Amino acid sequence: MSTAAAHPRPAQRIAHARSGWRRWPLASGTGAAIATGLVLLPLVFLVVQAQRSGWGEVERLLLRHTVAVLLWNTVRLAAACTLLCAVLGVGAAWLVERTALPLRGLWRVLLVLPLGIPDFVVGFGWVSLDHGLHGYWAAVMVMTLSLYPLVYLPVATALASGDASLEEAARSLGTGRWRTFWRVTMRQVRPAVLGGCLLVTLALLAEYGAFEITQYRTFTVEIFTEFRLGFDAVGACVLSLVLVAIGLVVLAGELTLTGVRGQRSGPGVARPIARIGLGRMTAPVLIALATLAGVALGVPVYALCYWMIRGGSTTLPSASIVGALGHTAEFSAAAAAAATALSIPLAALSVRRRGRVTLLLERFAFVPMALPGLVVALGLVSFTVRYAISLYQSTLELVVAYAILFLPLALVAVRAAMGQAPASLEEVGRSLGCGPLTAWRRVTLPLIAPGLRAAFALVFISSATELTATLLLRPTGVDTLATQFWTYSTNFAYGAAAPYAALMVAISAVPAYLLSRRMTAGARRGSLR
Amino acid sequence: MSIPRSLLSVALAFSCVLLLVACGASSSSGPHSITLYSGQHEQTTTLLVHAFERATRIRVHVRSGDEAELGDQIAEEGGASPADVFYTENTPILEYLRERGLLAQVDASTLASVPRRYSSAEGDWVGVSARVSALVYNTSRLQPGELPGSILELAQPRWKGRVAFAPAETDFQPLVTSIAKLEGTATAERWLKGLAANATTYPDNETAVTQVNDGQSEVAPINHYYWYRLRAELGAAGTHSALHYFDHGDAGELVNVSGAAVLASSPAKPAAQRFLAFLVSAEGQRLLAHSHSYEYPLRPGAPLPAGLRSLSSISPAALTPAQLGDGRAALALEQKLGLL
Amino acid sequence: MSRLEVNGLVKGYGRREVLRGVDLDVPAGSLTAVLGLSGCGKTTLLRVIAGFERAEAGSVSLGGRTLDDGSTYVPPERRGIGYVPQEGALFPHLSVQDNVSFGLPRAERRGEAVHALLELVGIAPLARRLPHQLSGGEQQRVALARALARSPSALLLDEPFSSLDAGLRASLREEVHLLLRSQGVTTVLVTHDQEEALSMADVVAVLRDGVVVQQGEPAALYQRPSDELLARFLGAVNVLPASFSAGSAMTALGPLQLHDSEVPERGSGSVIVRPEQLEVRARASEEADPGEGVAGRVQQCRYYGHDALLEILPEDGIGIDPLLARVLGESALPAGTAVTVAARGPVSVLG
Repeated sequence: MSTAAAHPRPAQRIAHARSGWRRWPLASGTGAAIATGLVLLPLVFLVVQAQRSGWGEVERLLLRHTVAVLLWNTVRLAAACTLLCAVLGVGAAWLVERTALPLRGLWRVLLVLPLGIPDFVVGFGWVSLDHGLHGYWAAVMVMTLSLYPLVYLPVATALASGDASLEEAARSLGTGRWRTFWRVTMRQVRPAVLGGCLLVTLALLAEYGAFEITQYRTFTVEIFTEFRLGFDAVGACVLSLVLVAIGLVVLAGELTLTGVRGQRSGPGVARPIARIGLGRMTAPVLIALATLAGVALGVPVYALCYWMIRGGSTTLPSASIVGALGHTAEFSAAAAAAATALSIPLAALSVRRRGRVTLLLERFAFVPMALPGLVVALGLVSFTVRYAISLYQSTLELVVAYAILFLPLALVAVRAAMGQAPASLEEVGRSLGCGPLTAWRRVTLPLIAPGLRAAFALVFISSATELTATLLLRPTGVDTLATQFWTYSTNFAYGAAAPYAALMVAISAVPAYLLSRRMTAGARRGSLR
Repeated sequence: MSIPRSLLSVALAFSCVLLLVACGASSSSGPHSITLYSGQHEQTTTLLVHAFERATRIRVHVRSGDEAELGDQIAEEGGASPADVFYTENTPILEYLRERGLLAQVDASTLASVPRRYSSAEGDWVGVSARVSALVYNTSRLQPGELPGSILELAQPRWKGRVAFAPAETDFQPLVTSIAKLEGTATAERWLKGLAANATTYPDNETAVTQVNDGQSEVAPINHYYWYRLRAELGAAGTHSALHYFDHGDAGELVNVSGAAVLASSPAKPAAQRFLAFLVSAEGQRLLAHSHSYEYPLRPGAPLPAGLRSLSSISPAALTPAQLGDGRAALALEQKLGLL
Repeated sequence: MSRLEVNGLVKGYGRREVLRGVDLDVPAGSLTAVLGLSGCGKTTLLRVIAGFERAEAGSVSLGGRTLDDGSTYVPPERRGIGYVPQEGALFPHLSVQDNVSFGLPRAERRGEAVHALLELVGIAPLARRLPHQLSGGEQQRVALARALARSPSALLLDEPFSSLDAGLRASLREEVHLLLRSQGVTTVLVTHDQEEALSMADVVAVLRDGVVVQQGEPAALYQRPSDELLARFLGAVNVLPASFSAGSAMTALGPLQLHDSEVPERGSGSVIVRPEQLEVRARASEEADPGEGVAGRVQQCRYYGHDALLEILPEDGIGIDPLLARVLGESALPAGTAVTVAARGPVSVLG
């Protein structure tokens, strides 16, 4: 058997190949498996429920005129909002990061802060000031004003770290400033724009509170309505399957536009990008940005102040407001930590071991974000009641629900950071005597830390304002700011509701503020590599 | 960027999660404590619970939420439900759970405290308070003489563009059920079509009543208390609307009941039964009357909330709450007509 | 000082087999270059030796200690092998000083030894800089210092100079060569640049299609390559048909002496003649007698300064391809010159 030495027997080869998996640290693999399992849980629930109801019922619920109306409503809202968010987000980011804009530091913060105002508070602000504000355009306006930072943030980061030499090369090739913006700058930030738009679209699909207030019927609104009238989850689940389908189409679209291979970050630039002088445009640009910030921040804040002063409610906020604040902070922090932790293995898989399977795993994590919190919560109720009754209505279950719902927010931030921390650096660390965990801690962790903080902040903000899953899953007797706001605002007690909303804004503004400062700071440092 | 700081934050976050895992709060029921799932207005519930705890030394863990969500949760939980008592704004959800055999018999003495017609025919739940369906109208655009005697008239062409209603509200379904039961399904369907053609739809009664008060619409079928609460929030100066009751015997003259039940799975039935008894006791009913919820206490002799017309002046509606059932036929009808 | 041995190493990714039984013997304290075209498996070989990848078959041992043989697997951090990846891969969040002292115990990170190393590699003044503030050559020095800081038993260099410009490459190469020699660390250098391999290494191993096709001292490899492909890979070459008798080869350029070791009994084959083994003289005129050698005409002259490569078309009737001849720069001849070409032995026979 002279060939045996050079070409080992097949069985031996397979055994070796398998043991190679040990290279992929166990913790990471387990993390990815847990994350995937959690993400699949609500989807499995939907399918099981729909199946239980029978095909006839599914047909009755789906093949009716209303579904066509809802589809049209949902799609045209998502299209308009996403487009507007893209325009506002990219425009504002370009003005702040690439032009000689006065007061840049101030705008960086002001333009991100609307992220900290819950959508339903924005809606509540507008509608309570003008009862006539309803329907399509009201919904588009409210959602655009509260979601555009999801595009602004990643694009500003990308622009701050962009490669000026490419733009200069384009200019030297005779391309005009405007065409350079489209053909070079936009191309460079395209993944950031698309990633932001993806989050906006998914958030729109699942939004309930703001549309309930602006009286705009989307799938999610209808899911709530019919669930409240018909009690059982079947109808909600069948309609949710449509949302899953829309979500998958959106994800596939984003993937097609971004490309399966993804973008690898190059060595980057060593010198700062020259900012374009605004000249005579300075005043109009300042007015435009001030208007955006004023409308997105000012109106809801003004409305809250107005109601707090003038409300005259018979019911005043109780002492429990402190408890609600504490619970909100506690749950949101735990959820943010959990989602961030879960997103690390998924992001590592998708960035470092990019392939069809890992891509699919990572993409699936985005689907639950398109689902109403109600449906995800019902799935968790159904699961824990059967298989983990001791966790039922525990803090842990609520935190897990938040983590499932908002994992994509963390994933987007961590994925971007992971691109700055190639596996080869970790390998060098190992060759310098560090074990796998130490190498990860000393090399990769510090490099992705800005991304982790961004992920934490984004999930914290979203969790702090979550209502529907909270109502179903919170421990009995525990209130959060969102549940208290809901309790009072559904009873006309705007005066009593307003302080809770104000606290929600305050508690979300802190991470939003840190986000605006750290994300661009991180980008600048990363760009200098 | 120093390593220790990033490490610290990550470590902090993880320990936070671990801490939470360790102390997953769960309330247990026993002879001295019960868990209450409440779809009633939270302020009302809190008032009653505090009084009950003071009177009995039984601790009540309250879970407030939307009654449909809580009801479905109970159905999903089945025998493992942490809930001992379910207190709701409306009865269809209680009927839904009764059909699934999830409710226990209410003590006979409790049932006897309120008129029999306001509780479950089988004795599975007890009526606690009531709301009356009525028509809110804008006082500067309509005179009392112009108002309809029957709710069926709202489907007539002369009301085109003048009506507001909230087809997605839990309060609207009983009206459809009532018309279907009293006048036949075909009439109900015709009426719904006519109403839909005449009316602007709103997501909830709060909005509908606000629209009428602001003069955007002239009338809206609602439950009486929405108007009283609006008036309390806006004051007399801001109120430009009033309530009108339909004729005796009309399908639109409906009494919706807020009820309570003990769950069949409850390990603390004696304490749970005491809570139900308290809800319909003289003390409980007095608190309800003064709770600013503007609902009618059902116990004979209980005081009337300020400003309300007495319940007995509204003749007993043709249908009892229990006869309204779980209302799911009305839901299917609304879905069929594209209102949902 | 440890000897690094690789035996029958097999490694693939999915269905693609990258290494198909690699044998490599790196003597203790030597600098061995692994030379190959890109994609031949050089980097994979280094990664298996470093422990980032596991061997599917075969073994790796260092100083007699088995690192990987299918049953044993020593993780990278316990191999004591320094690794300098392509482009250096410095930790972007750490200063030069912190990069270099990364692998040391906490107590030694600020010690004299680190400073001495920085001095040795010539980057002491840059200690506080961050990697993005360094030039390419400086980054490579830091990467090297970082790998040497732990006094590794062996050092692996993956194309360390490929991203540098020509001048810097040459000087840094020389410096690193001296440095490694002074440290006496067993080194494997991977490169696709034959000049780099030949000039720096004690031993060169040529990797092709996942196997080592030849291993030996630079001169031996250059003069006596095992096949034509390898001969061409190591430098320009003339392949001449020859018939052998009594220790010499009869070629179109006349009889040529063979290397002692390879004396075929009889028969015919090919020999390789390196361009610098050809002597070129200008002829006064076309008609002039070529004397000893072959008459021809310069077709093209590639001038490199220190030397020049002439492409010479032999006169009709000789029946061989154009010849490549290397002459000193000052002796370069313009195209069209009539020349005489003669060869100097010894030459080697192609297998």
